[in-house]
Amino acid sequence: MSITLDQLTKRYQGVPVVNDVSLEIGDGEFFVLLGPSGSGKSTLLRAIAGLSGLDHGRIALHGRDVTHVSARRRGVGLVFQNYALFRHMTVAENIEFALRVRRMRAAQRRSRRQELLRLVALEGMDERLPGQLSGGQQQRVAVARALAHKPEVLLLDEPFGALDAKIREGLRRTIREVQRELGITTILVTHDQEEAFAMADRIGVMNFGRLLECGRPQDLYTHPATRFVATFLGAANLILARQSADGPRWGAWPPAMAGAGPGAAAREREVVAVVRPEEIQMARSRDELSSSAYLGRGVVEEVLFTGALERARIRLDEAPEAPILAHANGEGAVLLEATRAQFEQRAFTLTPGQSVTVGVRRAHVLATPLSSFTVCASNGSAVARLAGHPLLLDLSSRMKTRIRRHVEPLLGDATPIRDAATSLPGTSVIAAHENVVSDANWLLDHGVEEILILPEHAPSPQRVLIHWTDESARHATLAVSASVLRHLSAEAIYVDVLPDQTHATVRSSGIRALLDARSEARTAHGLEIRTELRFGVAAQALAQRLDEAPGQMLILGTSGAGRLSGELAALLAQPRWPVLLVHREREAPAHSRSAA
Amino acid sequence: MRDGQPTVLPGFGLTLGFTTFFLSAVVLLPLAALVLLAASTPLHQLLNAVASPRALASYELSFGGALLAACINLVFGFIIAWTLARYEFPGRRLMDAMIDMPFALPTAVSGIALTAVFSANGWLGRYLALAGIHVAYTRLGVVLAMTLIGMPFAVRTVQPALLEVQRDLEDAAETLGAGRWYVFRRVIVPAVLPAMLTGFTLAFARALGEYGSVIFISGNLPMKTEITPLLMVIHLEEFDYHGAAALGFVMLAASFVILLTINLLQAWGRDRMVRRRA
Repeated sequence: MSITLDQLTKRYQGVPVVNDVSLEIGDGEFFVLLGPSGSGKSTLLRAIAGLSGLDHGRIALHGRDVTHVSARRRGVGLVFQNYALFRHMTVAENIEFALRVRRMRAAQRRSRRQELLRLVALEGMDERLPGQLSGGQQQRVAVARALAHKPEVLLLDEPFGALDAKIREGLRRTIREVQRELGITTILVTHDQEEAFAMADRIGVMNFGRLLECGRPQDLYTHPATRFVATFLGAANLILARQSADGPRWGAWPPAMAGAGPGAAAREREVVAVVRPEEIQMARSRDELSSSAYLGRGVVEEVLFTGALERARIRLDEAPEAPILAHANGEGAVLLEATRAQFEQRAFTLTPGQSVTVGVRRAHVLATPLSSFTVCASNGSAVARLAGHPLLLDLSSRMKTRIRRHVEPLLGDATPIRDAATSLPGTSVIAAHENVVSDANWLLDHGVEEILILPEHAPSPQRVLIHWTDESARHATLAVSASVLRHLSAEAIYVDVLPDQTHATVRSSGIRALLDARSEARTAHGLEIRTELRFGVAAQALAQRLDEAPGQMLILGTSGAGRLSGELAALLAQPRWPVLLVHREREAPAHSRSAA
Repeated sequence: MRDGQPTVLPGFGLTLGFTTFFLSAVVLLPLAALVLLAASTPLHQLLNAVASPRALASYELSFGGALLAACINLVFGFIIAWTLARYEFPGRRLMDAMIDMPFALPTAVSGIALTAVFSANGWLGRYLALAGIHVAYTRLGVVLAMTLIGMPFAVRTVQPALLEVQRDLEDAAETLGAGRWYVFRRVIVPAVLPAMLTGFTLAFARALGEYGSVIFISGNLPMKTEITPLLMVIHLEEFDYHGAAALGFVMLAASFVILLTINLLQAWGRDRMVRRRA
């Protein structure tokens, strides 16, 4: 491995800007770090270069631990967005800078410089000043300068940011050729997905300081695991669907199914499906949808000609069985996005206002267990108040998902369950009040698997504690935690609690459980977590830990057919922190869920 | 730009006319009067005023002191500008505002203030006196006053230039293997050198012309701590306008030569850089 990053964390004023990033990059690989501005990608690059310190973690280059090695001895080449050329020096002096520092002889310097200038196609420019060159030429000089001392690793920080499209294209090709010719391991940082696709062997997508997913460009595009990657890498329609035994089904919740009560094995779950605009087909009628599954009917709102492709936005009809788009496309109106190639345009011309039948050629179901939020309370005003909770709004807009409202007069009613058909889609959200435990129990009785309990004043959490009462809830809890943490810039800590009087052998098994949890989080969900071992009664230890600092949140996994009672109920009675309860039936084996 | 786009102020003709008139009335004419007055002085009287031992000693102090003060400002002005430009710390804005104080104070006030602090029984002066260092009423005091009033020029010219030297340049140099001293010498100083020279020039010019603050702390002992502007005032008080004008002419000529030299140096440096490339 050329570059090995192990749990890198960098905080700025307490907020992690690089959050537990682990990554391995192979010899000669061209790796692209992609993310929106402020996602921590440049900070990560600077940390690799040795220009900014770390709060935690290790960096190794070619097997050599360089965590505490200064930038000048790391042997990396760095290229900046604004070129950062020394303006009072000629091109030759700029390129020879690193060689001069190393006291190389003039003749050797000259031959190395000629070699580099040939490599970046700038022969004969030796005596120019940077001010006399165009932007593209300056960046070529910067690349040559960064390669002069034969670094082991080349780092490029948004190198095309200041260049216009035509020049970008040429420089991209040059950099890729140089990289191949030298076989040098390279990391490029960019926010431009097109650039990432064009250059990368492998792409790593970052958001909120976390490295969300890594993979080959085509794999990430067709099979993203998270909704951020799905929507950041090109346009995507996120559609709420029902996952059934034979694939995703479109249409509104609740499903018209009789007898689908809690514990029913065939119960459908709400999932999020990704449909790329180019996978949408439009036709006059359902019979004309050739190779695609019927999605619904809609009205064309807008048609844009963009050259090779035509972009259309469609408002879906609000029929009971119509599919529901998970996210609002910016301005509130939820429209389906479609792109069509020329041949499709010729076959069927679209005009705004036209009514069309919409089909889906290909849909990809995301693995995330959190699909949407359903706010629950016993009266309308309480529902409205809760639906406007800042943390919920923040979370739902970051997750690009809906908040449904549901008034449930019977909520919290302690009488045993009669009407099993009431099932709420997605994660239920309830307010933290004195009867919150009976509300939660009512929801659990009615088949809800995730419940978010919100106290009235809950800031966006900076730290998320994860705990499960039972190993059979581990998998689901980690999956939910990963999904939540992708959308928060918070650090994750798994807290395990052992009884006070614990024998040494049990202690070591407790430590093993911590390590298992961490490795499962990393391998199955790409989530890096920290671990803590505490002693005492679980609920008390957790409450104590949560009270230690403000801005914490708890994700609590439980399992079994039972309701919340005893110490767990005591922990959840009027919590002062947001709690996300993850409940799974004990009889459901974990592996069936991992397929989702 | 007569035919250019309309601007806020009236046209080119009017503004150029005003500029010429203003420069003439405020700068050129008084200087010409000074030169004429000096030129109309009988030769022996001129020589008496200009080449007397007392005058020669005052030149030495005025020019030497101003030069020394400008050098001090060059170094410490750079350090202050560096601190203000590079670091973020509580009170930075306040400190930044304080730099301009010597601009705003009437110079006599700064002179009195300096004397209060550095005289033999002043706050600092009494301790310095114990160490055998006398500031007030010595040449050291003159240089101190000159440094004080010149300091804002040195800081304010270098500060924007330093802000323009991007952090990235230092980072780039560091990843290329350069140590701190190397980066300072080869990257930062060359980038701000023109600004530093300008600051030096301004601080020098200001120190040379300074009168108010210096005369309080210098004690004005003839041949020792008497600056040329004071000598001119003494001539004036004796109604010896010709003598004063002659001294003024010497100062004018000397500062003109010095400023010209520095400007030529700067131009030569730029030119050399460009020619080497061509």
